[in-house]
Amino acid sequence: MSIEPFNKLVKLAARAFYDDITAKGDNQPKSGRSDNRGIAVVVLDALTRRQWVREEDLAKDLKLHLKQLRRTLRFFEEEKLVTRDHRKETAKGAKAYSAAVAATADNLPGRDGEEKIKLHTHSYCCLDYAQIHDVVRYRMQRMKKKLKDELDNKNTVQEYVCPKCGKRYNALDAIRLISFEDDSFHCESCNTELVAESDKLASQDIGDGDDNARRRRREKLRDLLQKMEAELKPLTDQLSRVKDLEAPDYGTLQAWELRASVVARASSSDPTGNDSNRSGQGGTPMPFLGETKVEVAFSGVEEKGEIKSENAPMKVLPPWMIKEGMNLTNEQRGVVKQESNMEGTSASMDMKDEKKLISQEDDAKNLQDEYVKAYYAAILQRQKEQEEATKREQDLSANSILTDVDPSSSRKRQRDDDGEDVEWEDTPTAGETFKVDLNVEAAELSGDEEDDDDGIDWEEG
Amino acid sequence: MFFHIVLERNMQLHPRHFGRDLREKLVSKLMKDVEGTCSGRHGFVVAITGIENVGKGLIRDGTGFVTFPVKYQCVVFRPFKGEILEAVVSMVNKMGFFAEAGPVQIFVSNHLIPDDMEFQSGDMPNYTTSDGSVKIQKDSEVRLKIIGTRVDATEIFCIGTIKDDFLGVISDPGTTS
Repeated sequence: MSIEPFNKLVKLAARAFYDDITAKGDNQPKSGRSDNRGIAVVVLDALTRRQWVREEDLAKDLKLHLKQLRRTLRFFEEEKLVTRDHRKETAKGAKAYSAAVAATADNLPGRDGEEKIKLHTHSYCCLDYAQIHDVVRYRMQRMKKKLKDELDNKNTVQEYVCPKCGKRYNALDAIRLISFEDDSFHCESCNTELVAESDKLASQDIGDGDDNARRRRREKLRDLLQKMEAELKPLTDQLSRVKDLEAPDYGTLQAWELRASVVARASSSDPTGNDSNRSGQGGTPMPFLGETKVEVAFSGVEEKGEIKSENAPMKVLPPWMIKEGMNLTNEQRGVVKQESNMEGTSASMDMKDEKKLISQEDDAKNLQDEYVKAYYAAILQRQKEQEEATKREQDLSANSILTDVDPSSSRKRQRDDDGEDVEWEDTPTAGETFKVDLNVEAAELSGDEEDDDDGIDWEEG
Repeated sequence: MFFHIVLERNMQLHPRHFGRDLREKLVSKLMKDVEGTCSGRHGFVVAITGIENVGKGLIRDGTGFVTFPVKYQCVVFRPFKGEILEAVVSMVNKMGFFAEAGPVQIFVSNHLIPDDMEFQSGDMPNYTTSDGSVKIQKDSEVRLKIIGTRVDATEIFCIGTIKDDFLGVISDPGTTS
């Protein structure tokens, strides 16, 4: 699931850049109680655990005042971390959202109780992971560039400011600013002498640019740059980790709702769907694509089935069919043993087994012994007959068996993966419910589709 | 950077020049008008190297002046960001120094002067290294890099830096002459 690294990225970025952002405006008095630095981090963290969320609900969950939350969210919207959607909706529209939420995020408590909505403008918000990725990268790039430029004085245009009227000039204006009285720069409007503006990043305590000051400033900048690189190391690491991953995308609010409601319907008709649904919904829009995907797989299977049936006359099935069946029961293992003898694999093992059996029975009664011997002899006899029969067949189909080794192993793997293969075989008869099942399966097994395909091929063959 | 380009201009000629050497008069007037001017688009016109063609004149109503469209080849000089130029220092002050590369004026502010050069005020203000081996004062020749240009319709002004490898004073007026 690709959402985890992105969530981590968001959390790291929140702590790195939005740690001391206050949600309050500047005009409000700042007392100890209303100091709400760090609220931005809390909100972002909360959003990583949600998809689209109604802002009222988020405020309730975070126990924040709605206005405060809105202010924070507006700030994040400006920072391009969050997408928001506002719409006027009736109780019905709100219900649609509630239904969608109930279907997807059952870790959000206290959702169902509030159906009291009239025609209100509701705001929803959601993290925009792809954009966050870009924003964070851009921000770091800008920080680094600014420091570096200032460090080696590249592309920096010196600025001058008039101490009296505050008018600003830069070096490109220099030719107009020279006064011929004393060779220094003078303000155009009030004719006071201009002072070079000291660099913004490099400290105010250092006055105008005498030589020592400049050197100190450079050192300070270098320190700053190093510190920045050290402190943002986790973030850069996470960025590089996330670089090639596809960012999770919930789409617009409408698309998300639609998708969620479809999934909700699917899960309501499927008794076991609840659990798998959640896992499918957690990260990717998989359940939606699942439907089409499965259909494609099926058509592919049918095609392959036809091809197989064409091949069928050429390939002799019995040898490995027998082997497959005999693995199951102990009694019939003798046959397998014989066959494997013939193939020259694990012969000694089986012989030992046999001996052990015989010795045990020696300890028991002679009668039984006799009987067993006779029985074994009979079995042996029959096996030999079978051997000869199969030998002929196998000589014919030796090549095909060899090639079949791989599919059989893959089948075993697949069997380990999912015990409920039965559903797959039943599916062609079922109608509506069968589709739903497929959805769920696809959502679950989105990772190992190749395995599924292999398994199907093999069974059809 | 220098370019050799073809430009066109409408020349107005006074009726008194009409005669045998109308063409010469036209060209000399063109040179007087154009050489040394600066356009934001093409840069400084350094010299006219030839006339491509002179179009048909048009007599203006009322005045008797004749307008000729003239196409001429000329050398123009236009400074670019990142370009390395050699320039002569024209003025030094504590904010930096001004230099001229032909018609272009360049300002190098003091934070784009190497850190080891300090401003010395006095009769002849200059920037000097601590050991006194390198000195930038009026009439020094410096090699500098343009880091910014300000292009107006009729004016180009540059700012430069000498804080880079191989930039700085290339000859001292005291030693060369």
